[in-house]
This record gives sequence, structure tokens and C-alpha cells, in this order.
Amino acid sequence: MNLIQVILIIGIIVLAVSYFRWFRNTGRDLFVIAIITVIGLTFVLFPNITNRLAHILGVGRGADLIFYLCILGFCFALLALYSKIKNLERKITELTRKDALREAREVKD
Amino acid sequence: MNSKNIYLILPAFNEASVLEKVLAEVIKSGYHIVVVNDGSEDDTAKILEHFPITIINHSINLGQGAALQTGMDWAKIKDAEIVIHFDADGQHYADDVENLLKPVLDGECDLAIGSRFLNSKNAVPFFRKQILRMATFIESIFTGIKLTDAHNGLRALNKKALHSIQLSENRMAHATELISQAKRSNLRIKEVAVRVSYTNYTMQKGQGLLGGVHIIFNLLFKKITK
Repeated sequence: MNLIQVILIIGIIVLAVSYFRWFRNTGRDLFVIAIITVIGLTFVLFPNITNRLAHILGVGRGADLIFYLCILGFCFALLALYSKIKNLERKITELTRKDALREAREVKD
Repeated sequence: MNSKNIYLILPAFNEASVLEKVLAEVIKSGYHIVVVNDGSEDDTAKILEHFPITIINHSINLGQGAALQTGMDWAKIKDAEIVIHFDADGQHYADDVENLLKPVLDGECDLAIGSRFLNSKNAVPFFRKQILRMATFIESIFTGIKLTDAHNGLRALNKKALHSIQLSENRMAHATELISQAKRSNLRIKEVAVRVSYTNYTMQKGQGLLGGVHIIFNLLFKKITK
């Protein structure tokens, strides 16, 4: 096993454990993250699988395939994050507006 | 119509340097003036105390779209017949409001929007003109309505329009969202020639190219997630 494989395996496990420790813990999340973790570990331990997959999909190398998938994953994560920020912004707006309308005053001459 | 049934909404964020002059002008109209102080950090709040107006304070800065919606919610509570949007940065002229209101009062349209390009006397700076041309084109793609001006803050809405529009774009994208919702609600739109005052201050407060890119991104995101 190469040193990079050790680093990647540790990285994947740390990320998966951290996610469950600090973030959501629903059954669905557990399932999705467990699948992603297993796929990640398989690709790291058996790099030839990615090469074979890459050839099937018409990509030159396995590393390139992983890179493209990472870009897709990154865009998806960005969109999901932006959506969460927008939802948060909507809630803050509603709260602020409700408060502002309750405290509205009419200044007389 | 009683002028007190007409509500003029001014969203204000850090406008202390011009607000006194703007308020002194609009108050002469006799309409009900509502200023939504959008989390200003300067003396905007202090200045407001000197005028017979309704003051609504956002505890944090949410953006012009959010401030306008708060003002419109207030107008709904007060059972307003007509609402006018008026920028607090001094770019609009109070005596244009009457012209803007006319087609709404005459029942010609539900939503009257100011257009600087219908008034030949407006000397729109070259760079601003190009940005606005581009914005008008992009807005027509998003809304399906071709207007001569984009993001003109001077508008008049009748009761039907007031109750049909619900702005969710907190910042400047609200201007496009408003047109889009107007189309969806089959509101009759009319553009009215208005003047726009270009000073260093209003130019600074206006939309830049980067702001325009941000608006497009917001609108695209909304289209994707709708």
C-alpha cells in the first residue's frame, strides 16, 4: 500500500466520523454517507477499478474520472449550501419583518 | 381618492446625508409616508424623528427588496388603495409621482413603472446607459416583458397589484421579480416617463456591473430551485 493510499483512507474515515459526530444522524444520512465512504475506500484500495470504469465511460484515466466526479460533487454541495443559506435568510427576513411591523410608529406633527 | 389612502414607501439604508431633503419634498404631496429604515448605521433614524411619517425599523440590513415588502405589508394592514415605491437616495423627483399615479388612478393599469428613457431630458451617463440596456435585455428574458428601463425604483401599484406582489428577493433582484410576478398575475403594466437625478451620491448608490452579475445569479438560482 502506498503512502497516499494511507493518507486518503485516514482522510475518508475522519470525514465520515466527523460528519456523524457533528452533523445530522438520520438513517438516510447514515446510509448515503456509508455508501460514499465504501465507494471512496474501494477506489483508494483498488485503483484499477477506477481505470476500468473510466475506460467504460470514455475517460482516459481513473484519476481523471475521479476528478470530474469531484467537480460534480463540489457543484452539488455548493448548490445545497446556497439553498440552505437562502432558507436561513428567508427565516431571518420573516422574523425581522414581523418584529419591525409590530414596533412600527407613526410620528405626529 | 383620499391622498391618505395612498402610501409612499421609501426604503432607506444609510441615507442620512440626503434623507432630510428627500422627505421634505415628498411630504408636500400629502400622501402617507412610510420609511422603512433598513438597519441603517448612520443618523437616518434620528432624522426620521423630525417628520410626520410612519417609521418601520429593520433591526438588521436586509436589502431594498425586503424593505419594500415590509412597507407593502404595512400598507396592506392599513388597507391602502395605492402604494408608491420611491428611492430614498434622492434620484427621484417628488413631482413625477403625480404623472406616475395618473394611469393607475384612471384605471389604465395596475402597475405604473417609471422609465428614465421615455424622458428625453434625462442625461444618463454612458456607462450606466450600457448597464441598463443589458439589464433591460436580461430582464426581458427572465420576465417575458420588454420594458424601456430596468431597475427604476419609482413605481405605483394599485390594490390588486399590492396584493398580488410578494417580494422574496431581499436585495436588488426584487425589481425583476416584481415584473415577473406582475406578468404571472396578469397585471396591466404601463411605463411612465420620469426624471432621474444623477449625482455622485446616487451614482455610488446605484447598481454596478458586479451587482448586476449577483442579481443574475440570484434569479438563475431561483429558476433552478423553483
